[in-house]
Amino acid sequence: MFRGVLWLLAGRGCVGRGLSTRSGGSTPDWTEKVSEIKKKIQSALPGGPWDPLYDTSHLPPEHSDVVIVGGGVLGLSVAYWLKRLEKPRGAIKVLVVDRDHTYSQASTGLSVGGIRQQFSLPENIQLSLFSVDFLRNINEYLAVVDDPPLDVQFNPSGYLLLASEKGAAIMESNVKVQRQEGAKVCLMSPEQLQNKFPWINTDGVALASYGFSMSSSRMQTSSGKEMTLKRIHEVHVKMDHSLEYQPVECALVINAAGAWSGQVAELAGIGKGPPGTLEGTKLPVEPRKRYVYFWHCPEGPGLETPFMADTSGAYFRREGLGHNYLGGCSPTEEEEPDPGNLEVDHDFFQDKVWPHLAHRVPAFQSLKVRSAWAGYYDYNTFDQNGVVGPHPLVVNMYFATGFSGHGLQQAPAVGRAVAELVLEGQFQTINLSSLLFSRFYLGEKVEERNII
Amino acid sequence: MLKIIIPTVMLIPLTWLSKSNMLWINSTMYSLMISMTCLPLMNQFCDNSLNLSMLFFSDSLSTPLLMLTTWLLPLMIIASQHHMPKEPPTRKKLYITMMILLQIFLIMTFSATELIMFYILFEATLVPTLIMITRWGGQTERLNAGIYFLFYTLAGSLPLLVALIYTQTTLGSLNLLLAQYWIDSSTHIWGDSLLWLAYMMAFMVKMPLYGLHLWLPKAHVEAPIAGSMVLAAILLKLGGYGMLRITMMLSPTINFMAYPFMMLSLWGMVMTSSICLRQTDLKSLIAYSSVSHMALVIMAILIQSPWSFMGATALMIAHGLTSSLLFCLANSNYERTHSRTMILARGLQMILPLMAAWWLLASLTNLALPPSINLIGELFVTVSMFSWSNFSIILLGINIIITALYTLYMLIMTQRGKYTYHIHNIKPSFTRENTLMSLHLVPLLLLMISPKIILGTTY
Repeated sequence: MFRGVLWLLAGRGCVGRGLSTRSGGSTPDWTEKVSEIKKKIQSALPGGPWDPLYDTSHLPPEHSDVVIVGGGVLGLSVAYWLKRLEKPRGAIKVLVVDRDHTYSQASTGLSVGGIRQQFSLPENIQLSLFSVDFLRNINEYLAVVDDPPLDVQFNPSGYLLLASEKGAAIMESNVKVQRQEGAKVCLMSPEQLQNKFPWINTDGVALASYGFSMSSSRMQTSSGKEMTLKRIHEVHVKMDHSLEYQPVECALVINAAGAWSGQVAELAGIGKGPPGTLEGTKLPVEPRKRYVYFWHCPEGPGLETPFMADTSGAYFRREGLGHNYLGGCSPTEEEEPDPGNLEVDHDFFQDKVWPHLAHRVPAFQSLKVRSAWAGYYDYNTFDQNGVVGPHPLVVNMYFATGFSGHGLQQAPAVGRAVAELVLEGQFQTINLSSLLFSRFYLGEKVEERNII
Repeated sequence: MLKIIIPTVMLIPLTWLSKSNMLWINSTMYSLMISMTCLPLMNQFCDNSLNLSMLFFSDSLSTPLLMLTTWLLPLMIIASQHHMPKEPPTRKKLYITMMILLQIFLIMTFSATELIMFYILFEATLVPTLIMITRWGGQTERLNAGIYFLFYTLAGSLPLLVALIYTQTTLGSLNLLLAQYWIDSSTHIWGDSLLWLAYMMAFMVKMPLYGLHLWLPKAHVEAPIAGSMVLAAILLKLGGYGMLRITMMLSPTINFMAYPFMMLSLWGMVMTSSICLRQTDLKSLIAYSSVSHMALVIMAILIQSPWSFMGATALMIAHGLTSSLLFCLANSNYERTHSRTMILARGLQMILPLMAAWWLLASLTNLALPPSINLIGELFVTVSMFSWSNFSIILLGINIIITALYTLYMLIMTQRGKYTYHIHNIKPSFTRENTLMSLHLVPLLLLMISPKIILGTTY
């Protein structure tokens, strides 16, 4: 499956004709050279598309059935599931395009990498449950024959959410919903919390919910180009790469562009109309910058550390085995940093994150920040939950974006949902109809009751 | 014959001198009128041919094919109207000129008396088709497809040239009408087998025979709609027509040469039908179904019995109309969703019910439903094959079943079921498209009343 996805991303859209480089060659250099030579011969011989004027093998194909805009985890997940769920093999041609193949600004690579099931929306819980299952059994889904088994550094340490007096009631009802959906959650009182995690200062904590979750930090690779879209009812996608230009005729476009989904949607003409109408409803996804700090604390909590989210909104998780931790905090509306660049504000850590951390975990009073980075949330300004499904007007554009910080954890399940929507016409496994685009026009907010 | 050829030639100045807005109307209407001038050819002696001149003649075998050819030109022009308008006018005119040129060559091929003239025009039909495929086809693979198409056919027909020239020198004349009366000496030498091969290979490649059929799926899929239509409807039948004419000239003692090709056709028929079941690309499915039907024709021609000749001729005409119709239907799908994959455009019956009716009729004729002429062709071929060898009925029966299977699969996949979300705003069927489909179906259905006109020389 993974190989199928790779070949699709190489832009050819057809199963490789023995252009395999997995010959188990002695050194990578040698197999590289052989594959180069093979490619050259292949392009000269009949049997593949070639242009007598110049070599166009680096451009995407002129025709593809589905074009996925955005090659992050959501886009690749949709591509994977489309190929996995199609009934006749090789039926759909999928093309994934991304404007930056180094993923320098993509949210996927810069994410903290936590997964939790403690949501209040049943759909979110189901999405996370499936994604957890996916990651746990990742070799069942993504393993390639003859390759070593995948290791996504999946640490099932759990996710600890703390609630103060105010939030305790909400947390209890959330836990009830979560248990109904099948998540394994337990509620703990401060005493139990103190027993389990002696390094926590349970001051101000009324309730804690401890659920199963993990973190992962590895990603897969692909290729990419930039694109522009055309308007409603038309199905042409144009590709841009430097000055070269490849119109890709397609039947469907899937918008998985993450933080830039709003711009991509505008290119398709979504939101160009009088406000208050369906034409005028924009896709309310915009990039929001969030900081992640990486610190070392020699007396910090050990192996049993869950991904902990404090009542104040600060969170952290263990990284590796050397008392290193990753963490951050969501800024309030007033202190939203400017998403124009990915510069890190270290004062934010000093002023906002560290005091809360130090309060909650006394060991963190002495820590040393090793590094920090910033990444974008594809923040859905409407209700901070994802947008999935087709646009009512631009009929062949599907969304899989706007997950506002929990995109990575729900990506496998969302990919599967979108693939089902494309192939079957409706959601088969998880019903995400409450996350459709039309809620923006109808004004129905689908809100989550605790946001990190 | 000139009353057909000269107007067709004059269609070219008509295209070039028409105003841009009258271009399509003019060419369509005048080519329809030319197809009407072809009808009087039907009025001929049924036991002999209508000898019009030294160069041209028509008999009950070439007349239906001529009718099909002239009928198809307006249909091709109608079908091309949608994907052409964005091109500059010169290119549009060039496209129509290619079609007309092809038409001229085909008319002359089907009515040629002299076999060398037949050969020259046979080869000449390749050129406009190649230009249409490579210049106006859909995707990059079309260049590949064009090369396959060109070289397969050329390589197959070079031996034909040698054989024809040899026969000309030994026999003195290659006039088709005289050659029928050529009595060959009974003892044969191995050179006769080579001669047989040389004659037949060109047409085998054109039909196509199962082992040499690689060019067909490529060419059919990558060609623009007019190219697909003419390829499926007529160019394949050139092979059949050639074989039918040549077998009369060849010695009966070397009929054992037919066996390998019989086997290939029998097996290939079942194989290509099975491949159709696995296809995800709609045009590819129809292309492979063409190979399967033509395998029946090859078998019928090779066993050389009166019934089989009747079946072959009927099947050629019926398949021409049906295949062309299926390609037009697939094209109407493609123009709306821009994808040839079947699973992306499902449940069309809800959205385009009239088109669903055409799909249904096309599928029914494709699977040889009685009393359509497809059935007459297939039935005659099956019956004569059975009398040739009892065991062939097994494979023929399997093929009939699998044909029904993939045709119904195609119908159900595209028409029935819940429609995919993204096709709910496709444009409704144009009158032009409905006209196109009904113009295909009307001859198909009307011929049911009097199929004797398509049954060929042995009726």
